[in-house]
Amino acid sequence: MDINALTPYDRNRFMAMMEEKQVKDSLRLYHNLVERCFLDCANDFTTKTLTAKEEACVNKCCDKFLKYSARIGQRFAEQNTAMVDIQQQLISENASQ
Amino acid sequence: MSYFNQQQAASNQTFMQLEHEMEAMTDVFNKIISSCHTKCIPTKYSESDLNKAESVCVDRCFSKYMIVQQQIGSKLQELSQNVQEMNAEAAARASQ
Repeated sequence: MDINALTPYDRNRFMAMMEEKQVKDSLRLYHNLVERCFLDCANDFTTKTLTAKEEACVNKCCDKFLKYSARIGQRFAEQNTAMVDIQQQLISENASQ
Repeated sequence: MSYFNQQQAASNQTFMQLEHEMEAMTDVFNKIISSCHTKCIPTKYSESDLNKAESVCVDRCFSKYMIVQQQIGSKLQELSQNVQEMNAEAAARASQ
């Protein structure tokens, strides 16, 4: 199953869907990251603004999260290529029988 | 149905399948991101890099998540097969 099996109309629909998903995903990433770093870093409510410590924590939290999600993304991509390889192997084995 | 309509219907079905697949994949990805972060990244944030221990934990967490997903998937499949067999038997008995 791939994009080439789609009619031009559906291919456009697919592209639009992917674009919409990307926008939604980056918004979700932003909101989740804010929530996580806020919960983990902002715990001192004796001041109205972030303390120096909290600010440093937020920066590290954000940097670390981006590196972390890149790593997971890498593993995810590896997993996907492995799955595709297995599927192709099965298909070629079936064809040769 | 004309050949053209058939082609359009097939294309539409592929589109919906692709959409489901994409949705399932982003769903799994986001779930892994949230659970492995909780399990592997301490909340102290003393550095901005992933250290060795965290990286190893993240890799193992990902791998385990995949295994759990697979295991539960096959368990559920087994279960639904059993239910289907039981239903078929019950239907056969009822029709006798």
